Amino acid sequence: MKILTTVKKVVDVELNIRVNDGAIVEDGLQYVINAWDENGVETAVQLKENNSAETTLVSIGGDDNADMIKKCYAMGIENGILIDDPALANADSSVFAKVLQKVYEKGEYDLIITGKQAQDTDNGQAGIMLAEYLNIPCVSNVVAIEVMDDSHVKVSRLGDAGTEIVELELPAVVTVSDSINEPRLPAMRGIMMAKKKKIETMDLSALGTSIDDLGGADLQSEVVEYMQPEARKSGQKFEGDAAEITAEVVGLLSNEAKVL
Amino acid sequence: MTKILVVADIKQGVLKGSTSELLSKAKALGAETAVVAVGSNIESLTADLANAGSDTQYIADDASLELFSAGPFTSCVVDAAKQFEANLIWFGFSETGKAVAPRVAAQLKAACATEITDITIDGDNVEVTRPTTANKLIQRIKVNASQLVAVVRAGAFEATEGITGAENAVKLSIPETDLKAIIKEIIAEAGDDIDLADANIVVSVGRGAKDQAGIDLVKELATDLEAGFGSSRALIDAGLMPHAKQVGQTGKIVAPTLYFAIGISGAIQHLAGMNGSKVIVAVNKDSEAPIFNVADYGIVGDLFEVVPILREEIKKIKG
Repeated sequence: MKILTTVKKVVDVELNIRVNDGAIVEDGLQYVINAWDENGVETAVQLKENNSAETTLVSIGGDDNADMIKKCYAMGIENGILIDDPALANADSSVFAKVLQKVYEKGEYDLIITGKQAQDTDNGQAGIMLAEYLNIPCVSNVVAIEVMDDSHVKVSRLGDAGTEIVELELPAVVTVSDSINEPRLPAMRGIMMAKKKKIETMDLSALGTSIDDLGGADLQSEVVEYMQPEARKSGQKFEGDAAEITAEVVGLLSNEAKVL
Repeated sequence: MTKILVVADIKQGVLKGSTSELLSKAKALGAETAVVAVGSNIESLTADLANAGSDTQYIADDASLELFSAGPFTSCVVDAAKQFEANLIWFGFSETGKAVAPRVAAQLKAACATEITDITIDGDNVEVTRPTTANKLIQRIKVNASQLVAVVRAGAFEATEGITGAENAVKLSIPETDLKAIIKEIIAEAGDDIDLADANIVVSVGRGAKDQAGIDLVKELATDLEAGFGSSRALIDAGLMPHAKQVGQTGKIVAPTLYFAIGISGAIQHLAGMNGSKVIVAVNKDSEAPIFNVADYGIVGDLFEVVPILREEIKKIKG
């Protein structure tokens, strides 16, 4: 089985993010692997360990994605592809999905694993759109996966009515939730081996396409402005005798906030 | 005139509140409205769908549609969108919406925006607003395509009293079952639980509860208040709470009138799932816990001591 997993480098949401004049202030930002993609990488590596599979990751971005790709090598991913093209700087989910479609068509994979969404955009679209463009099945928000045979996997999806058990015919796309696993910390041996491994870097022409082909010159929507959300007005904190302060808060919920 | 198609949110045969919230917003924008409903044994909901504010009801009702399957669901929405010539296609906030919206957008070559909190229409100029980056930023997005598929975040729009529609049901043809993604079964959540997405009050429990006994203690508060009962990620990872109860960026995003965070420290991923709540109450032993930065009323104390007092005091007020 050939597995393709996608990884995106995203801004570290744990840190402060500032906006100036409608744009994100780059100064002071740090970038990390998208947490849900890390769950996807772990899923791929576990499938490789428990079945026979070949694992490849693809990432879209600049050469500063190399450290993230090496980390995934250290976790157990075997091959890495970096799509590095300045024309993709303003791409949206649909364009990313079409880039991934081209990567898929070059490699003929059986299973594509993506994180359910990226922490920076919170869109949750690219993986699902990729399946539509490839006309193959897709299950999103997956919390468990097992291989049934060479051409089928069984997945559990957290849906509105409960946990859906779905049998998927391969090739297929699954987008994984962070509930699916706990990504491993790479071992020293893996880290040393990862250092020597190469990354296959391609631009769009090497991929056999162009930004116009991908619809990137004529985006369906575009971000015109970033804003900082209104901070919640600072609240009241009560310390001291539990009985006293709890009674006081309940009184305020009833009389001041009028929500009880 | 702008035409807005709302995808009905139906759970266990009941029309959820988000449908009338979205239709109310559509009417307030001066749009012509339609709704598309997909499921089994739902034809009886036609009057409810009209009363929620729709002028046309596209209905796909078939036993094969009882269990959610993204492919056929998508086909029904695309069919309705084409028949209605919809400019905007809106889903309420749900896992169904998040799974189907990108598919519909891909098939219609439409723009797609998830978790929008506002929309403005000025002639042909459509703009949406949505939180992003774990709620740390807000994006204003200009739509260039002639159609937009959007998932509306919980609590973004309010239902208008006295909204009216008209019964005009259109039967959709039933799509073929997706044989490449076969739904074997759905393991339902416990039926007696209040739906987190709909609850007016949500009580969530975190690591501070320690074990099952602590969780049961906090759940009693939720039961007293007829509140939805949620969890932070820590207890789910520990196997003490089910995945479906997770409130946060990756789980359920809630915006109730009143939110209790009990024994929850307030990791960014949790805050992203609840900081749109109207009033937030936090109970935590650690006075430096980040949850106090978003709490309107913070109680610094041991939840095992505070929760029983909370229940007593609330009982006094509620008589």
